[in-house]
Formats: sequence, structure tokens, C-alpha cells
Amino acid sequence: MKIDVRILLFLIAATVPAAALTAEAVSNTTSGSLASVESFASIGDQQTRSAAYFTELGKVLTHPRCLNCHPAGDRPRQGDTARLHQPPVFRGVDGFGLPALRCPICHQAANFGAVPGNPIWHLAPREMAWEGKTLGQICTQIKDPAQNGGRSLETLVEHIGEDHLVGWAWAPGPGREPAPGTQKQAGALVAAWVQTGAACPKP
Amino acid sequence: MTSLTVTINGRVHGPHDARDDLTMNDFLREYLGMTGAKFGCGAAQCLSCAIIIDNPDGTSYTSPTCIVPATSFDGKSIRTVEGHAKDGELTPLQKAFIDHFAFQCGYCTAGFLNEGQVLLERLATTPIARADLEKTIAEALDGHLCRCTGYVKYHEAVRDVILADPSRYLQSS
Repeated sequence: MKIDVRILLFLIAATVPAAALTAEAVSNTTSGSLASVESFASIGDQQTRSAAYFTELGKVLTHPRCLNCHPAGDRPRQGDTARLHQPPVFRGVDGFGLPALRCPICHQAANFGAVPGNPIWHLAPREMAWEGKTLGQICTQIKDPAQNGGRSLETLVEHIGEDHLVGWAWAPGPGREPAPGTQKQAGALVAAWVQTGAACPKP
Repeated sequence: MTSLTVTINGRVHGPHDARDDLTMNDFLREYLGMTGAKFGCGAAQCLSCAIIIDNPDGTSYTSPTCIVPATSFDGKSIRTVEGHAKDGELTPLQKAFIDHFAFQCGYCTAGFLNEGQVLLERLATTPIARADLEKTIAEALDGHLCRCTGYVKYHEAVRDVILADPSRYLQSS
């Protein structure tokens, strides 16, 4: 019995620091930063580590800079409070707005004053809506080519890590909070997530 | 500073040295003295500042000017409310606006006029069914704010112009 207790104490002593390190990797990151891929090394189980990568990436995916243009309906949201876009613009058949008020009419190739800009400013397709979903649901959705713009997991790494429109989230101009971390860090998290099996957090 | 040359109502203006932070609305009103495009909300929410941009392919669309850099208009051809009437003769849409007294203070009128004109030109090349007319007008004018609440009169004025020449704007039934 004494031996069992010793073993138990040993196991606690061995696992608590690892768990603490794991928690620290995530909890030490503020809302404006991302934990590095290396900081998850202490999670031994690959599937758990993979899901943890995605959970950290979720700080970006659920940030208003991303979520505002992945709406559940046909109207984008705007600002850090994710209010409905004013003027009242709508998705349109191609995601670039109705004929009378297309996105690029106001949203130029680059930020101008308070107006955000990018050469291809538009809404994500309806099937890529993330608004109102859990991180687990977003994870399942983002792996499905039918719901991610026909992308493989490998091209998903490139999309999040290098795409210019996605990159706007980290350079949104005045009056808007940038997405956490950097695009490079987000890309590294996606890559690590894919390499470890692209496991999803629980829905 | 960026060089800006823009064709406005058929006349070439420029090249001008334009500050990169200059809005098109300020360029029109302060540099060229063309005050037809109004400055309302300053946030592209009322569209009293809207002008028409003519594409090389013959299509047109409206654009706010209050939040859009003037330099983004370099090389483009645009129309403002000052360019609608020819030799003092008002367009059918302008006349309809007057007939319907489709404005009170008039601050939003230029924006509505430009939007209505673009709609007429679009329907002239792509006629619609009569059943879709009300919805099409409403969608076209949507986004333009009138603080005097003249929406119905604007809508009716545009509709009258279309119904006065149905073979031009509507599909044959």
C-alpha cells in the first residue's frame, strides 16, 4: 500500500509540472499574442497536442478581424464589437456585394483613413461561415474541402500563413485591434496542427 | 503626392499633384469647386457624396467619394450631378424628380440622381420583368439616406421614367 502511494506521489510529481508547463504555454499568452509551436512540446499525446495547436489558432479564427467577414448571414460585421456593417451592405452572388454597393467601391487596395482595404476585399463564402460556432465545429468545417473553399490541409497552411487578405488581420489600420500574434506564428500553428494529424478540440 | 488625372463629365482634369490622404470629395469640392457631390456623414453611410464611375466597357456604377482617396480615381472617367443636363436641358430623371418634388432640402438629391441614372442605363442594356421593377428600384436606391424621408418620392420618380418608356427598360411580356 505504501508503495502504491509512493508511485502515486511520483506520478503526480512527474505529471503536474508537465501539465503546468502546458497550461503555462497557453495561459501566458495574452489576448494579443500567440503561443509558439515549441511551447506545446510538453504535451506528449500527439492528438491532444494537435488539438491544442488548433485551440491556440482559434484565438485568431474567432477574432473580430477574421470573424466579421465569416458571418453566419449575408451581412458582414465590423469593428472590434462586431456590429453589423454600416452602410447596410449584403453578400451578393459572389461575396463582393450587391451591384449597387460593391465592397471594392469603398474598400480600396490598401487601408485609407478609417476604411480598411485590400485588393480583393470580400466576404467569405456562406459555407465558410464561422460566426456562432464552437472552435470544434470550426475545426471540423475548416478541414472539409466542401466548406473551406476546396482547400487541402496543405493549402490551408499556405492560406492562413501567407494569404494577403488573411494577412490584413494583422495590419488592420487605426481603430481596430489586430489579430493575436503574427501571421507567421498563425501559419506555424496551422502547419504544426496539420503535421500532427489535424485533430479537433471537442465541439 | 501622386499625380492625378481624371475625366469628369467628359472633360479631362489634370494632371494634378494630389496628397495621398486627399479624399475624392475634397478634391471635387475644394480643388475643382464642384460642389454637387455633397459631404454628409463622411463615412459612406448616407451616399450623398456618390458620383458615377464609367467603365471602359460601357458599364457604370456609383461610388462614394467621402472615404475614397482621390488618387484611386486616376485615369478614370466619372460623372457628377453637374454633368447630367445637356445645354440646359434636364434629363428625364431630373424632370421626374422635380415633378414628384422628390426632395426637400436637396442635400441627398445628387446621390439619388446618380444612382437612379446608373439604374436606368443598366436596365436599358439589361431589361427586367415588370414584376421585378419595384424590388429592383428599391435595391438600387438602398443605402442612400434622405433625412427629409423622401424615399417614396424618389422611388416613384425613377419608376415613372421607366414606365414612360417600357420597351426600353422592361422585358416584353
